[in-house]
Amino acid sequence: MQVEREVVLPASAAVVWEAITDEAELSEWFGADVELDPTPGGHGRFVDDDGSVRRAVVEAVEPERRLRFVWWPEDGSGGPSSVELELTDVGAGTRLVVIEAPVAAAGWGQALGRLHARCSTLVAV
Amino acid sequence: MPDDDDRVGAVFSALADPTRRYVVQALAGEATVTASQLAERLPISRQAVAKHLGALGEAGLVTAQREGREVRYRLTPDAMADAMGWMAAVGASWDSRLSSLQEHLRRRG
Repeated sequence: MQVEREVVLPASAAVVWEAITDEAELSEWFGADVELDPTPGGHGRFVDDDGSVRRAVVEAVEPERRLRFVWWPEDGSGGPSSVELELTDVGAGTRLVVIEAPVAAAGWGQALGRLHARCSTLVAV
Repeated sequence: MPDDDDRVGAVFSALADPTRRYVVQALAGEATVTASQLAERLPISRQAVAKHLGALGEAGLVTAQREGREVRYRLTPDAMADAMGWMAAVGASWDSRLSSLQEHLRRRG
């Protein structure tokens, strides 16, 4: 069980990809402010228009095709969800499909494990 | 609120299995049911049914009550309502964001 939404956007996959991965651009349409490192293990912070804040860890990045991350409320007011954005060229534009689903305990553990591994390598430098 | 949101993930996991979905539907049609009664209607053992009922219990979807030598299970509708509420809220959030993205791309030209 999950939430799925899709839309065909009047832009190329390259343009849509930029819109969903560039933090400056995300900040223009997503909500109030977005910080995002669109690389596997990268961190994110999404501030919605209603002031709610979510932290994120990026799980998968396939340029101009797929972005997947896990996010959760910064204030701990809810559990983590997996969000996947998939782009498909449909000629006149790009179809964007978004799927959000609560993360089962195992999936959450994997995301945290990868985050821990990434932080370890950063500290080593 | 935290308990409600954490429960949503457990509900979704619990309902990912078709046997458990059948059990929930069966319970929705009756006040209470036993593991044996369910096993009569399903091509699996009573132990397997009990395991599924355990998973549904952990997800907060069913409660168990011992009556003599039997344990009777009943549906707790709150967990399902929470899951439905989550889907409606998250769906509405994405509708709004995608609408905003469409407008953003239109303005860029």
